[in-house]
Amino acid sequence: MGNKNDTRKENIQKLLLRLELWFAPVLIIVPIGVSLFFLWDWYVRGFSTGSSVYDGELLIGLLLFIGNLMFDIFFLRSLRILKKKQ
Amino acid sequence: MFFSEMTARDAFKLTKKKMTEYQTEFLERMNAIEVDAHWFRRVFHTFAASFLFYYLLPDEEWMNLGKILLPVIIVLCMVVVEYRRIRGDLDHQRFFGLRNYEKKRPASYLYFGVAVLLLFLLFPQQIAIPCILCASFTDPIIGESRYYLGKKRAYAIGFVISAFFFLMTWYRADWWVLILVSLLGATGAVIGEAKKLKFVDDDFMIQMVPAILLLLMWQGLLAMGSNMLPPPLLHPL
Repeated sequence: MGNKNDTRKENIQKLLLRLELWFAPVLIIVPIGVSLFFLWDWYVRGFSTGSSVYDGELLIGLLLFIGNLMFDIFFLRSLRILKKKQ
Repeated sequence: MFFSEMTARDAFKLTKKKMTEYQTEFLERMNAIEVDAHWFRRVFHTFAASFLFYYLLPDEEWMNLGKILLPVIIVLCMVVVEYRRIRGDLDHQRFFGLRNYEKKRPASYLYFGVAVLLLFLLFPQQIAIPCILCASFTDPIIGESRYYLGKKRAYAIGFVISAFFFLMTWYRADWWVLILVSLLGATGAVIGEAKKLKFVDDDFMIQMVPAILLLLMWQGLLAMGSNMLPPPLLHPL
């Protein structure tokens, strides 16, 4: 009975790991993609036309890019450690 | 007699040793998952800042309808999932990164989603953007700082970062508005994060407390004939 329970727990852990590994690219790529879109939008509508109205897009783009990158590094490091342990 | 006693003692020691080894190994695995869930939760927060893309969506009739319907539908789906999970139709363990106290109440992602929905639909973007940024970045930064530096310093850091988000979003406003909004918004965000309520998650409070404070201030000043809102930060495509 105990053995069966442990196997179940291990299976759940494997499932969670798979789920996380599947989610990881989405969590990393989407914010970086969105931030690059903000920066591109600022470049096209603001910088190339000499307008400062779109500086908000630049600020948000930079914030999203730097903020997400900082946390992604720790996240990827934890994933690598977990993969090694598994 | 002596021989049989030794054997029993040895067997007991061996079993104890094996159990300890198994327990250590199991705990290590659990810790690995915990550490991972911890960063998973942090990255989920920062990921949510991408929702600001909402403000780039074009201002067209059909799109404006979608801007209301789509977030409502997404949050409703989350409500259904959470309802089924709390009722026990969905296995709690299949939800990665949930905390123990979230077993019998809605998970924090639902609170986060509801707060973002309310901000999108009821608040001007000048108020909504810094509040979403606070939930996306200030919350995980406070969480990490609290672990390494203690509560007081973590909240001080959270205050400075939140104030920065309000300064950044309102940089086109008058200087007195800028200072007032930054102080009020950052105070609201830190109170929202620090005040732990039993049934309302801090992911909701960190967004709604500063938003409501700023809304009251904006409406109050408007009643006195002064509009403090700066021009919008983000412009639809």
